[in-house]
Formats: sequence, structure tokens, C-alpha cells
Amino acid sequence: MRFIVPHPGHFAALKEIIEAKETKGLGEVKEVYMAGSPEVMGSGRATLHSVRIADIKEQTDYAHQHDLKMNIVVNPSCLGGYHLTLQGYKLFTSYFEELNKAGVDGVTVAEPYFVELLRDLPMETVVSCIAHVDSPQRAEFFEALGADTIALDTNINRNFPVLEAITKAVRCDLKILVNEGCLYKCPFRHAHFNLFSHITANRSTLMKSQSTNIFSDYYFDKCISIRVRDPAQIIRSPWIRPEDLKEYEALGIDSFKITGRANAVNWIINCMEAYARRSFTGNLLDLIDCPSELRYTFHVDNELLDGSIKQWKTCKKICDECRYCDGLTGKVLRVSK
Amino acid sequence: MKEEIVEGRKRLEGELRKLVGNVFVPEAKVFGMACGCIGFAADLRGLQVDAVEVFMEKITALLEEISASVGVKPEIIYARKLPGSEEVVVFTTRELCERCKKEFAGSKAPPRPDILILKKKRQR
Repeated sequence: MRFIVPHPGHFAALKEIIEAKETKGLGEVKEVYMAGSPEVMGSGRATLHSVRIADIKEQTDYAHQHDLKMNIVVNPSCLGGYHLTLQGYKLFTSYFEELNKAGVDGVTVAEPYFVELLRDLPMETVVSCIAHVDSPQRAEFFEALGADTIALDTNINRNFPVLEAITKAVRCDLKILVNEGCLYKCPFRHAHFNLFSHITANRSTLMKSQSTNIFSDYYFDKCISIRVRDPAQIIRSPWIRPEDLKEYEALGIDSFKITGRANAVNWIINCMEAYARRSFTGNLLDLIDCPSELRYTFHVDNELLDGSIKQWKTCKKICDECRYCDGLTGKVLRVSK
Repeated sequence: MKEEIVEGRKRLEGELRKLVGNVFVPEAKVFGMACGCIGFAADLRGLQVDAVEVFMEKITALLEEISASVGVKPEIIYARKLPGSEEVVVFTTRELCERCKKEFAGSKAPPRPDILILKKKRQR
């Protein structure tokens, strides 16, 4: 089993994450990832740091000294077509070459064209979950483009027949995001990733003309409100408990990515430890990213969720007929006082 | 309390202008968070990280005084940058809840890369 851990981007945080990994003996933590340079392109998630190539090199060297791989995430879901201009082609290919020279081990991208651009470089090409690989067919397409690893769409985290079919359809590595708490089949998912892709690119020399001064993050606000009104949506989200990772290993999937690169360092360390130990006691929402603020409103007792994976493994995903998650919500979730 | 917040905003803006030039403080507020933290926050326009670093001591003392005037005894004082840039957009002083003492203020590193810590009370 290997864990891939988020890194907010500043060197001091990397040192602290590595120190925690080593002092706590978390040997299965094998890789860290952080956002690339917003001056070049945006990202599907909030990017709190503007990291330069020299900084990436220094941090990559440090990670290597501690037997960790470094992955750089450059996964905007929308580039406004700039990647298909000559100027964009030159900028992005030279950026990927610079990352390679800096010693980076892998690059995570969502744009299919980038998967092809990266195939001539020795770095691991990781297809982001933002590429929404949710079927054997789509996995085959990305593998044919040059993917070394695919981070699967979180919407299929609890769809074991599809997961199994994907493991049989492709030979590349597969990775699962364990603690993303997005709404199952979220209607905002594509639009929200697109919004972030543009907002985080507002320092890009190519895309700054598209910079936006939005009045609010509509999708985030709606997402929270939907769950406050209907907490069963929290249980329906495709997160995976630390205790249930073994069910995925049984399918042959043994790479687990912890999400939350925009969270505080100690939050990341707590998640890393819980998943690496495959055990957690307390409010499961303390481990769930996107959004983490629901933990102030709700308490989900992780121990009371024991055994629920059996239902989810065979679930037909027709919530209106099943209502298992609604019943479970009443048993495991309470409003915090 | 209302008068103190208004006065605090005005004083912060005035002092920052004396130190670094044209700075705008469009809004100041006292807040209470769901986790239990309470604090004082001032939005900023025109201030950059290097100026905060140069005048850190003076700015910290000023924020402590303003916080005290609105009833906040800060355990942490920090500036938040616009992610990935040098623009400082908020000063926050916070009395921490038990969770945030460990999670937000418990690391040696700044909790996030967009946070510049001005002062942190040592936790026991």
C-alpha cells in the first residue's frame, strides 16, 4: 500500500510533514504532491502558494533525501483553448521540461492533450480525478494517450463492479482519492472545477485576460447549504474510511491519495496518520476535505460506520429506492452543539 | 463596542499610512467562529508582505492594542496574503478554541502558505 499526501506548497510545511511521517513511522507514505506555478496555468483546486521552479527543485531534492517522491499538480479542467495555441504549446512544453529538470517524479494533469505532451518525458504521467475516469472505456482511452497512472473519478469509489472492471481493462496504475467529501454525482462538479481553473490562472501570462472578479463562490455556498438541509448527502459522499482501505486492496488497488492541499499543515498530518494507521476514532468529518467546515456543524461517529462498506460495495446507486444512507444518517450523524 | 471597532479601523488605517504610505482598510470586524475561536479582523488594500515584515513589531503592537479595545485577547496574530501573491488582504487576531490551538496554531510551519504569522503565543 502506498499513500500520496497533500503538501500546501511552502517548504516549512514539507519539512513538518516529513518529520511527522518519520517520527510516527508511517513508512507507507511514499509521495507528496503540490500545486504547480499559477504563473503558468491554473489548477482544479485552490492554490495558496506561488511556487517557482527553483523552489520545486529544492523541495524535490529534500523529499528525495527522505525517500519520498514529488508530484506536481497542474490539473485545470479548462484552459480556455490557450493550450492549443503555439504560444501555449511553447509555454506548457517548456514548463514540463523544467519540472523534469528539477527532478520531479510525476505530473498530474486533467487535460488529455497534456497527457500526450508528457509521454516523451520520463516523469510519471498521472491523470487527475478531474478527468472523470469513471469507466473501463475512459480508462483505456487515457492509457492509450500515455497515462502511467489514473486517479479515478471519486463518484465510482463505492461502485465495486466498475472499479473491478477498470482494474481488468488497463495495465497502468490506479489511484483512489480517499477523503474527498464532494456531493455524490454533484451537479456543480464540472462548473466548479472550471471556475477554479480560471481563478487560479489569473497570474498566468496567457490567461490573465480571463481573470474574474466573482461576487461569490456560488457552487461552494450551494454545496454546503444542500448538506445542511439534507445531511444524508454527507453520508452518500464517496469518501472511504481508513478502516475500509483493505476492501480496495482486495481489488488490486493499493495507491491511496489523501486530498486537502489547501488545509492547515496539522490537519494534513492528522489525516496522513489516520489513513496510514487504517484506524480513526472520532468525528469522521475531521478527515474529510471539500468541504472541511461541515465538521463544525455535524459529528459523524466513525466507529458507528463499521460494516457499512458491505452495503456500499453492492449498492445499485438508486437512492430513491434504497434509502440505506438516509437510515444510516440517523444512526451515525448528529448536529454538533 | 461599535465605537471601538470604528475607531480601531480608523486608527489601523492611519498608522499604516504613516508607516508605508497609501493603505486602505475598507472593513474591520469582531467575529465568532463555529469552532469557538473569536477575534478581530481588518480587510486591507494596498499593503504588501515586505512592508509587513519590515514593520512587524509596530503592526503587531498596534493590532494587540486595537484587539484589546474590542475585548479580544489574541493568542495568534497573522496576515493573510492573496494566494500566490505578495498582497496582504487581511489582518486577523484570534483567541483560539482548543481544536485550533492544535490544528491551526500547533505547527512550527505557518498553517498554510498564504498565512504570515506576526505573533503566536506559545501553547503549553
